[in-house]
Amino acid sequence: MIQQVISQKSKGNMIIANSVRTKMYLKGIAVDKYTAGSPDDAAVMQKVREVAKEFGVIV
Amino acid sequence: MAVKTLSIKGADSRDMARQAHDALAGFQPKLLLFFASSIYEHPETALKEVFPDSEIIGSSSHSEYCNASFTSGSVSIMALDSDSIEDVCIQIVENIGIEPELRETLDGMHNYYGGVDEVLENYDRYVGVVLFESSAKVEEIFMDRLGTVTDLLFVGGSSSAADRGESLVYANNQCYSGAAVLAILKTVNGYDVLKTQSAHILSERKLLVTKSDLRNRILYEFDHRPCGEVYAEVLGVPQDEIQDYFVCNPLGVVADSEIFVRTFNQIQGDGITLHCGLPEGTEVNVLKIGNIVEDTKKALDAAIPYQPAGVINFNCLYRTLEILNENQVEPYCALFGRYPSIGFSTNGEAFFGHINETSTVLVIK
Repeated sequence: MIQQVISQKSKGNMIIANSVRTKMYLKGIAVDKYTAGSPDDAAVMQKVREVAKEFGVIV
Repeated sequence: MAVKTLSIKGADSRDMARQAHDALAGFQPKLLLFFASSIYEHPETALKEVFPDSEIIGSSSHSEYCNASFTSGSVSIMALDSDSIEDVCIQIVENIGIEPELRETLDGMHNYYGGVDEVLENYDRYVGVVLFESSAKVEEIFMDRLGTVTDLLFVGGSSSAADRGESLVYANNQCYSGAAVLAILKTVNGYDVLKTQSAHILSERKLLVTKSDLRNRILYEFDHRPCGEVYAEVLGVPQDEIQDYFVCNPLGVVADSEIFVRTFNQIQGDGITLHCGLPEGTEVNVLKIGNIVEDTKKALDAAIPYQPAGVINFNCLYRTLEILNENQVEPYCALFGRYPSIGFSTNGEAFFGHINETSTVLVIK
């Protein structure tokens, strides 16, 4: 889900993808802590949805 | 000559502006960026009078840097002509203490250059500068919103003031309190941005912020426990002594390999106030402060392997006080004396977010 936000927002631009990652860290999402195999955490998922909405992307 | 730098002490703002005008005779600045000691009254008006055709932005300052010099009671000016800056778009956001709505502002700035696609396709030429008037204490929220509505990099800092005078930011012939000045520069030869902090990870233990008041910059809990208790545990010191460690052991958000420093202010009730708020969910490390001169040299040498046209240094006031205390002003300034450069002692630095105890640097190629 986090990767979806990054890839949709950056549209393949690696510089912007790195910027989006940094912005997500500063918003309180520990990007590198979660992988596709991580157990679902409702609070984190809600936060990622909110950030996605702010960025104007759909996940 | 694409960039000229000046350090001026004037009897007053008009005298300062007259000296600047004389020093820049024959040079036609597209943009004047200045950092003026707060002892000067209305430096923006005086500068606009003598440079009516230039765009002018600036900030009040506690102390100023110019090339290899460090001064107080002066004005540092960088003048950039059309060899380095093709165009500049300036916008003021007032009342930043109220939830800032920036989409319209940034859309307008993108459109000034032909739209967001043009800006992003030429990402290596467009860069933003942000100057905050620091009294509103909402820079982290503003930077978060700014990062949401634009992919452009914005670098800058928050105004400071000397013992006398007011903290202000300036744009053309106006001064502002509780505001942010935004400028998007279209550079001719590109730019680089760097951030350097003399803070390193002390403990690999990640502390999860589980209770905080972002807007009021208060931290309450790490890992569902009182933050002071956990901080003391990491340092291995008695909890009633933690204030003694606030300066040397700030907190850092580590985003990949980049550290974003958050400094402590003071214990307040059940919490600790910070100089930059932390949202709940953030993971932080406890840091240790290193050698400012050595770390700055490493960062500059790695990021600027060429002769730049100009370098703008937004250097935390705490770092200025630290190099003064350690008698390191001369070696620190010598690092920036290698380039045409200006800077000032900031009350917070901007790059992606609001940062403390850091230097953010814009390099004009």
